[in-house]
Amino acid sequence: MPALEVHEVSVRFGGTRALQDVNITVEPGSVTGLIGPNGAGKTTLFNVVTGLLSPSGGRVRLHDRDVTGATPARRARMGLARTFQRLELFTSLSVRDNIRVAGDIRNGWGRGHRINVAKETERVLELTGLGDIAGRDVADIPTGRARVVEVARALMTQPTVLLLDEPAAGQTEQETETFGQLLGRLAADGLAICLVEHDMALVMRVSGILHVLDYGQILAVGRPEQIQNDPAVIAAYLGGAA
Amino acid sequence: MHLFLTYTIFGLVLGGVYAIAASGLVLTYNTSGIFNFAHGAEAMLGAFVYWELRYGWGLPAPVALILVLGVFGPLMGGVLYLVIMRGLRETAEVTKVVVTVALMLGMLYLSEWFWNPQKDRTVVQFFGITSQVKIFGAEVSTHEIIALGCAVLIGLGLRMFFYRFRIGVAMRGAVDDPGLLQLNGHNPERVAALSWAMGSFLAVLAGVLLPPISGGALQANALTLLVLDAFAAAVFGRLRSIPRTFVGALILGLAASYVLAYFPKTWQWASNFRVSLPMIVLFVVLIVLPQDRLRGATVARTRERAHVPSMRSALIAAVGLLAVVILLRQLMNDSDITTLTVGMTFAVIALSLTLLSGYAGEMNLAAVSFGAIATMIAFHIGITGHGLASRMTLWGIVVGVAITALVGAVVSLPALRLRGLYLGLATMAFGVFLTDMVLMDSNLHKLPLFHTKFSLFSAGAGINSLVIPPLKVGPLDLHDGTSFLVTSTIVFAVIGIGLVALRNSSYGRRLTAMKDSPAASATLGQSLLRLKLSVFMLSAAIAGLGGVMMSMALGSVTPDNFSIFLSLSLLMLTVVAGISYVSGALAGGLLSGVGFSLIVTTFHNLASNHGSVHGLFSFLASFATVSPALIGIGVGRNPSGWVHDMIGNFRTLRTRPWVLAGGAVVEVLLYVLSLTKVLGHWWFAILTFVVLSLLPMVGQMADPEGRRRRAAEVPLEMVGIDSPYDDDLRLTLDRALGIEELAPVPTSRGDRPRTAAAGGGNGRVAPPLSAGVGDAGA
Ligand SMILES: Nc1ncnc2c1ncn2[C@@H]1O[C@H](COP(=O)(O)OP(=O)(O)O)[C@@H](O)[C@H]1O
Ligand SMILES: [Mg+2]
Repeated sequence: MPALEVHEVSVRFGGTRALQDVNITVEPGSVTGLIGPNGAGKTTLFNVVTGLLSPSGGRVRLHDRDVTGATPARRARMGLARTFQRLELFTSLSVRDNIRVAGDIRNGWGRGHRINVAKETERVLELTGLGDIAGRDVADIPTGRARVVEVARALMTQPTVLLLDEPAAGQTEQETETFGQLLGRLAADGLAICLVEHDMALVMRVSGILHVLDYGQILAVGRPEQIQNDPAVIAAYLGGAA
Repeated sequence: MHLFLTYTIFGLVLGGVYAIAASGLVLTYNTSGIFNFAHGAEAMLGAFVYWELRYGWGLPAPVALILVLGVFGPLMGGVLYLVIMRGLRETAEVTKVVVTVALMLGMLYLSEWFWNPQKDRTVVQFFGITSQVKIFGAEVSTHEIIALGCAVLIGLGLRMFFYRFRIGVAMRGAVDDPGLLQLNGHNPERVAALSWAMGSFLAVLAGVLLPPISGGALQANALTLLVLDAFAAAVFGRLRSIPRTFVGALILGLAASYVLAYFPKTWQWASNFRVSLPMIVLFVVLIVLPQDRLRGATVARTRERAHVPSMRSALIAAVGLLAVVILLRQLMNDSDITTLTVGMTFAVIALSLTLLSGYAGEMNLAAVSFGAIATMIAFHIGITGHGLASRMTLWGIVVGVAITALVGAVVSLPALRLRGLYLGLATMAFGVFLTDMVLMDSNLHKLPLFHTKFSLFSAGAGINSLVIPPLKVGPLDLHDGTSFLVTSTIVFAVIGIGLVALRNSSYGRRLTAMKDSPAASATLGQSLLRLKLSVFMLSAAIAGLGGVMMSMALGSVTPDNFSIFLSLSLLMLTVVAGISYVSGALAGGLLSGVGFSLIVTTFHNLASNHGSVHGLFSFLASFATVSPALIGIGVGRNPSGWVHDMIGNFRTLRTRPWVLAGGAVVEVLLYVLSLTKVLGHWWFAILTFVVLSLLPMVGQMADPEGRRRRAAEVPLEMVGIDSPYDDDLRLTLDRALGIEELAPVPTSRGDRPRTAAAGGGNGRVAPPLSAGVGDAGA
């Protein structure tokens, strides 16, 4: 059973169709890649899935329950978490408090067991390798690390589905390497991850299944090596560059 | 039928004028992102300038009109944008609101300075009152026809402007995406300045048209509050759509007119009701408006920065405050003590703003009105004893505060689903509604079941005021001035410490998270509505407590003590002093509670005592009334507030204890001189202020290295934002970036490296697919 199912979702902004009958499934225990040129509609899709945007058509199902009309908070409580391409960190808090407050919010859900926020924060800091900058203001850290803070913050809610919007942009090669390993470990623990990323080496390495989005439509779905040789995909990318 | 027709036409005319005003509001909001609370004040100034030209100077109407509409209006708008509003990019919503609120108050004070409000002024209808035409038997004045014609022309004109003219089309585009303007080759600054000029023109036009059709009297306050009618209309179009704004304006105008026509004259509250109608409509519309899209962080990084004090320093500060107040008490006479007590209760009200705006990023433009609610409740249920022996009970205060919190919930609930600005508008509407309807109620009503008579805001005999006796609990009797002063200081300190503790708690962190990014908060599972509601209720309760205490300190209160303008200036001064800090609330509260009224009376007294320089002193008195507004406008330059800056400056003095010691010695000397009556206590206050402001400067002179060191503490990306961007700074930057010689560095404020935010544009840039293809597939 897929953890997340997007069924025939469409979005319009005024005259432009940002998404058109998009279908995607994300399975637990694996990384599902989502690639496409800038403006293809990837971020828009994440906004629909997390409830920040209501689609003009289609359904979103989370753990086999229809959440198309649910609030963002309700979806989060059902195990959905995300990061933002345009960083949405809590800029007046330190790195540690950015992560800690996610635990605070989780404990405020009022159902399920409460977590020990202080202990969990330290575990997540350790896991994501942010220990050395935990005390710094998030406003003062490099973009690449800020993206990892967003991931760490999302992990604090102990999600079952995680959406990552270009998490490696701004990271150094070394950081990307470590980040890829982290993704692998998280997936191995059973998390369902959907990864939007422009760093093809990373996407190809960690993804089980890859979706290609272009002009708001799914162009191709398949394993990484299939996608690389898909003529439509190559044409889209070359066409985009021309 | 005849009545119906007459009032329908009148309603349409009124609606037309509202529409003119409201479309200006929508225009400026959409092109510059600043909701202009001074829009009504612009209309008011325009009306007064027109009056001056027409009746003061005796110019013929067409000339006066050309000067006011063609020159004064557009010029005022353009200059306001270029001088003030342009500097507000990348500031928090509260800061933007406060700057235009300050502008509104400043314009109001300015008009009272130039045009004595005691004097009656009337504006006659164009072509005189006798110039009329008959439409199906209903008499319509030429003025009304002109007003309606203007509304129609403006509506059509704006429509054409937005769809036919290149720059108009660009303005429409600017609504969602300012970047789009640049793509189309427009300078966004120029477009925004133009829109402000147009907005101001529309405000002034409405200001000139309105007074003659609503009785002819020129009243500064009433015209200034035209902004409320305008935004009630604009809310119909969600502050975006001009056609819907026109529809909203017509509905408002007609409704007001029909109430006038058909409500029985015996309903005394009907006239109050008519005045409050826009507020009521506003609330109804807010309730039915669909949910807003959640906003992310509006800017990558606001210029406001707030540091959280530790519990230890909060405790030390609280004890210090109490000590200072007790020491000052020795210098004061009874009336001074009362004045300071009132100031302290204002500071308590200001704490409600620290919690709501400083911590949670929400707005309340009518904090003092919540104090009125608590005061009324406490008056009706909490008083024991009679005459001089009457006292307020703790029970009365507790219930009053609790009910205030509930009222807060009811008032805020419709607006909480929407953007922060709507809450600001809703609270302001509530404040005006309260003073117009509830606090004006001095008539006796009969409760049907209980056979008792009561009136909401009257101590009896139809007098529109309440006598609020001081609190007595156990051995504590606040009838004694010193006890009251110390008690109110302790209340302030306890709530202040509570707020610091709250800020450091899980709840406080969740508030901060919501303020920084509502979208991220929600996607982590935070129910924003619940959090906002809880913080608003808590804040309303604090405001209620402060309000009851203020009423007790004053002894007797009238509706004027809860005027919306008082709430606005309190908010403004608190933001100027630093809304994220308890110290800012103290300074803001004291300043608005006592400071400026004292300064003004002092100068007035000086003026009457020294005949020869009378002019100078009365000028200074007038200037002092305008100065808070000037300070408020200046907040755009330092959005974090000055109190914290000052404390920061003192912190640097730690390394030079002899400067501090010197200051302390001077201060003790002044205190002793004042205690022994050698020095008047006003001189003591002024000299103390001078010493406190000079001390850090002395310290800096003693340590020229300090400035450079502090400049280096500013993170690289923030350099040159809060301080002038001089060559020195540029050199520092170049060195940090590893650029050898003076390279052409972009010096504009907005230019900050933020590579991550660059994505998400319209351009379709293909990522390097091939780069990864080779080594993938492992
Ligand atoms: N709020 C919005 N209003 C109008 N158009 C939008 C909005 N958000 C995104 N778009 C448009 O929708 C398309 C998809 O954007 P986006 O989802 O950000 O693409 P991606 O994340 O794949 O780069 C783009 O053409 C973009 O301009
Ligand atoms: Mg994107």
